[in-house]
Amino acid sequence: METPRKWEEMTWQEKREERFKRWLNPPDVKFVSPEAEKLYKERVTRFMKAIKLEEPDRVPVMLPTGNSPAYYAGANFRNIMYDYEKARDIWIKYMDDFGDMDTFSGPMLIPSGKISEALNARIHKLPGLGLPDDSPMNQFVEGEYMMADEYDLFMRDPTDYALRVTMPRTIGLFESFRKLPPLNYFMMGEAWVAALADPDIRKTFQTLMDLAGEYRQWRAAQEEVRNIVLARGYPSLFSGGIMTGAPFDHFGDVLRGTRGIFLDMFRQPQKLHEAMEYQLNMLRASIKGFPMTACPLCIMPLHKGDDTFMSDKQFEEFYWPTLRGVFLAMIDEGLVPMPFAEGKYTNRLKQITDAPRSGVVWWFDQTDMAEAKRILGNVCCIAGNVPTSLMMTGTTGQVKENCRRLIETCAPGGGYILAGGAHIDTGKIENLRAMMDAAREYGVYK
Amino acid sequence: MDNVKNWKELTPEQKREERYKKWLAAPGVKFKNKEAEKLYKERVTRFIKAIKMEESDRVPCMLPVGYFPAYYAGYDLKTVMYDYEKQRDAWMKFMDDFGDMDTFMGPGLVLPAPALEMIDHYMHQWPGHGVADNVAAYQFVEREYIKADEYDKLIQDPTDFWLRTFMPRQAGAFAPLARLPHLTAFVGIPLFYLASFADPGIQQAYRTMFKAGEEVMKWMDTISVVGREAIERGYAAFGGGFSGAPFDMLTDMCRGTTGIIMDMYRQPEKIHEAMERLIPIAIEEAVSLADAALAPLIIMPLHKGNKTFMSPKQFETFYWPSFKKLLLGMIDEGLVPLPFAEGDYIPRLEVIQDMPRASMVWYFEYMDMAKAKATVGRNNCIAGNLPVSTVIMGTPQDVKEGCRKLIKACAPGGGYILSASASVDTGKIENLRAMMDAAKEYGVYK
Repeated sequence: METPRKWEEMTWQEKREERFKRWLNPPDVKFVSPEAEKLYKERVTRFMKAIKLEEPDRVPVMLPTGNSPAYYAGANFRNIMYDYEKARDIWIKYMDDFGDMDTFSGPMLIPSGKISEALNARIHKLPGLGLPDDSPMNQFVEGEYMMADEYDLFMRDPTDYALRVTMPRTIGLFESFRKLPPLNYFMMGEAWVAALADPDIRKTFQTLMDLAGEYRQWRAAQEEVRNIVLARGYPSLFSGGIMTGAPFDHFGDVLRGTRGIFLDMFRQPQKLHEAMEYQLNMLRASIKGFPMTACPLCIMPLHKGDDTFMSDKQFEEFYWPTLRGVFLAMIDEGLVPMPFAEGKYTNRLKQITDAPRSGVVWWFDQTDMAEAKRILGNVCCIAGNVPTSLMMTGTTGQVKENCRRLIETCAPGGGYILAGGAHIDTGKIENLRAMMDAAREYGVYK
Repeated sequence: MDNVKNWKELTPEQKREERYKKWLAAPGVKFKNKEAEKLYKERVTRFIKAIKMEESDRVPCMLPVGYFPAYYAGYDLKTVMYDYEKQRDAWMKFMDDFGDMDTFMGPGLVLPAPALEMIDHYMHQWPGHGVADNVAAYQFVEREYIKADEYDKLIQDPTDFWLRTFMPRQAGAFAPLARLPHLTAFVGIPLFYLASFADPGIQQAYRTMFKAGEEVMKWMDTISVVGREAIERGYAAFGGGFSGAPFDMLTDMCRGTTGIIMDMYRQPEKIHEAMERLIPIAIEEAVSLADAALAPLIIMPLHKGNKTFMSPKQFETFYWPSFKKLLLGMIDEGLVPLPFAEGDYIPRLEVIQDMPRASMVWYFEYMDMAKAKATVGRNNCIAGNLPVSTVIMGTPQDVKEGCRKLIKACAPGGGYILSASASVDTGKIENLRAMMDAAKEYGVYK
């Protein structure tokens, strides 16, 4: 990690300043023109000031572009899964057509089709792989991938548990890993060498190795988009941080499922707490010493903590303490957690104020933004929340009007990023333009 | 022991009885003839009675055969490490020529050198590879494989530690595995597993592991006939698996002597935490090894707990409590631990004697056996300790006389296995015969 001297002795704000400097002056980007570099710096500065609860030149915007460039070009999610070069060309063309934006990124969470076929994941459905060919989204398949009595097994050795239990349950290709012997044994190294002779296990490894070329191509196309986007002066918000979530969601979404986790909250709350603490400690270990990267923002999609899934009391007891722990670990390392609160967080606002001032950016989906400003305005930067429905079906006039109201409510004093409540896919480019126009027209600080 | 009903409800004693039954019945073994089966049962009974602190027909004997069959056949350790057929033939010839023994093990400890070369194994030197061609033993290469600040990796996620920290330093071919991602982080997004497989270094590591795996299988296929043949001819199966003391696992394999001694002063609590972590894993490993074997004996070579390495206080603080916990854990599962105390254990006798009656075997190297009989030997079976120097250099008469004295001191009342202080390599077959003769001549219970 390229850290200045005495990194450990710096305050979190000083560490963050170092990361901000790196964000503002990316050493690996060759800007296409001085103009592009100037724009890049202006845009990053806009976000940094908003994060620090200061007033920038104007309200920064995260357009909910999502995967709409695919549809703009007449392609769809599934096409992009299979043709990486085409995807790259589509995204670059879209960027050129659109013009001024504060940030832009390549295709979001669109995996390689060939690799997805081979992985045969049970936890994901994709267009053409479990979903209709023309589906514009992937679908997570919730299930009880971890049984109620397996918390101890998880805590005893999380990687062993992932390798030999969860991976075979969630991903078809790793079915054979059920037969792997534990890797943590001190005395029987030869046992797993022998396991490599098992034809099914060999087949899994062989398939993985055969896919490596495909992965490299997919990855290269992604890298290319990323580099071009940056070189043209558009900062990326999503490519530098740690992508993680709330410890509660780690168990609630991925492992135990909604039904399982809610039973656990009543039947074995202590186990759940222990496991979440365990997960938090592991996250702490991976956050500590996190390298200097392109951008210090850590996007954290949140799910089961919203107003509809649990009571205030449950949030207080089960959701918030370990989520706050993740925030603090990130903040302490100079990173900026950016929770994306999916659903509605209006009830939660009063419960999430306990964090270092300006340490977090809360991005809201369906939360009451006036309340958010009132309660969190002096605590942290907030982002949101033009409804996706409006973005997809409204007129440009309606979009601009909605943005104007949001800016009036949230922008005063700084600490606001204009954003969508979620991302669009098959929407209209004019509405994205209207949103950008609104920021320039109504969002200027004087 | 899945085949035993209500296994979980049995007491440790009942579990041990079940394991003894399996040892005696030798399921799946096709004895050469009735006589072989009869001899097998007699010999196993001899050992079981000794462990149970009962008098059998005579004192059982573990001959210190070691690598001797290689030299007896006119080869040396180097030759049989590289030539599996010669390895097999040498051990078969010794078995044919020797005749009556209570137990005889195949050459399982003669490792396949070609596989070790393929993976560029650092942890051992062997004849022709780090030590001279004519050396009759391996040399373990102690080193600080794990750094002082890496205990938490082991404590938090043992398999991850094993895979990404320990293995890459254990063998040159595994070095790229250090670049593997942390598997637990990606349970929900399977695509990221692929990233590591696109890394050419990691691909090469897997290919090498497969190749080495094939070599290990070739070796196992060749030599496994010896072990099977020995049992079919009526020699008692003996080793049910290997294990060790938690302190030694950390010292020998991870921190090295210098490292661990520093840690004993600088961060004693980390040693304790790590050992606590290893205990359940070691128990599980021992159970799975013994379940796959006939005999319930877990052979545990001990190193750093002897008189020369640490003070009595250090032994009682760092070595014994975790080791005892591991022993008791194994005993609870009906296993019979057989620690082999290398070096001087005389000052340890008082501390280690407090174990459940007839639950284990203490095998001593440097020991006052009369004192051992009066302490540890009152509760549990002891084994030892005719000096290897006598077995290699002495006359058959010297050997017989040494054995006679040992039997006189240790055999009364049962609970003794005649054995040498270590194994021989370049000795004489007459001296091994003399030892066997002594057991039959002086060791008969009346």
